[in-house]
Amino acid sequence: MTPSTAEPLDPLIHAPARLRILVTLAALNDGDALSFTRLQKILDLTAGNLITHLRKLEDAGYTSTEKTGNGTASLTSVSLTHRGRAALDAYTSALRDLLAGL
Amino acid sequence: MNETRDNQSPGALDDQGELDPREAARLVEQTSRQARRAFDPSSPLASVVGAGVFLIGYGAVWWSIRDQATYAGPAGWSVAVLYGVIAVGAIVAGTMGRRATSGVRGRARRQMQGQAVAVWAAGIGAWVVEGALRYLDVPNKIVYGVYGPTVPLIALAGAAAGIAAMRERWPELTLCVTIIAVASVSTFFGPPGAWGLTGLGCAMALLVYAVVVSHQRRAIAQR
Repeated sequence: MTPSTAEPLDPLIHAPARLRILVTLAALNDGDALSFTRLQKILDLTAGNLITHLRKLEDAGYTSTEKTGNGTASLTSVSLTHRGRAALDAYTSALRDLLAGL
Repeated sequence: MNETRDNQSPGALDDQGELDPREAARLVEQTSRQARRAFDPSSPLASVVGAGVFLIGYGAVWWSIRDQATYAGPAGWSVAVLYGVIAVGAIVAGTMGRRATSGVRGRARRQMQGQAVAVWAAGIGAWVVEGALRYLDVPNKIVYGVYGPTVPLIALAGAAAGIAAMRERWPELTLCVTIIAVASVSTFFGPPGAWGLTGLGCAMALLVYAVVVSHQRRAIAQR
């Protein structure tokens, strides 16, 4: 990709794994959360890979992670924040504009 | 890009890989479709199973009463077949619903549970009235021959139609309205009509719905 075409696209989202994470979470209703294991299963990513990408998205405020329970019964859930949904909307809009210009 | 094999440092490959805008658009569409399918409890397969329930279950009762000049009720075997296929259908629907909401927390799960309560309350209410009619000495021909195969179904489909309309799922709404229409009209034809026409009509409607939904999914996939 040339730098000029990548410019309007959010570089944090413009990576296959993170894009797939955000799009999958966006398919849920607003405010819903998905368990880490289900997300991992849907995306077919390894736990380490998913954690790394989720950390980056969480640092940007695009996703939030909530842990409930203790020990082996603990459950980690991931959800898309309003900021994350807005960022994804902006990304897909920029992507459409970009493709329309090609 | 091999994002699932992370022998390298996790995420490094993903950050360095090139992603063409066209490829990104395809990825968005593909992932969105995959996610919608994963979280959707209804499926063409469930509709085909539902069609089988109507065709086999209602068909069995219709077969056992079709030649009765005076209504004597369905044969025991046909009632067993009916409840057997209903049980299979309920297990399939329950399994698909649980699979779709597995790992999902929040409003969607609560909404689905609320919707299930609304649909079942409508059905149970109609079954209770059936019991009351029998208690009030209404003839078996009406209670089990006409009311039984149609009114609880109309109540269930009515509740489901409301949910489909609220969620703007038009093929589902059309299916529910068709089931209500078929079940209502079939009551004019007495017990054989109520069982036979309702069974056949609902099975056909479910098969058409399965074809429409499959076609829609294929159309989205080919975009």
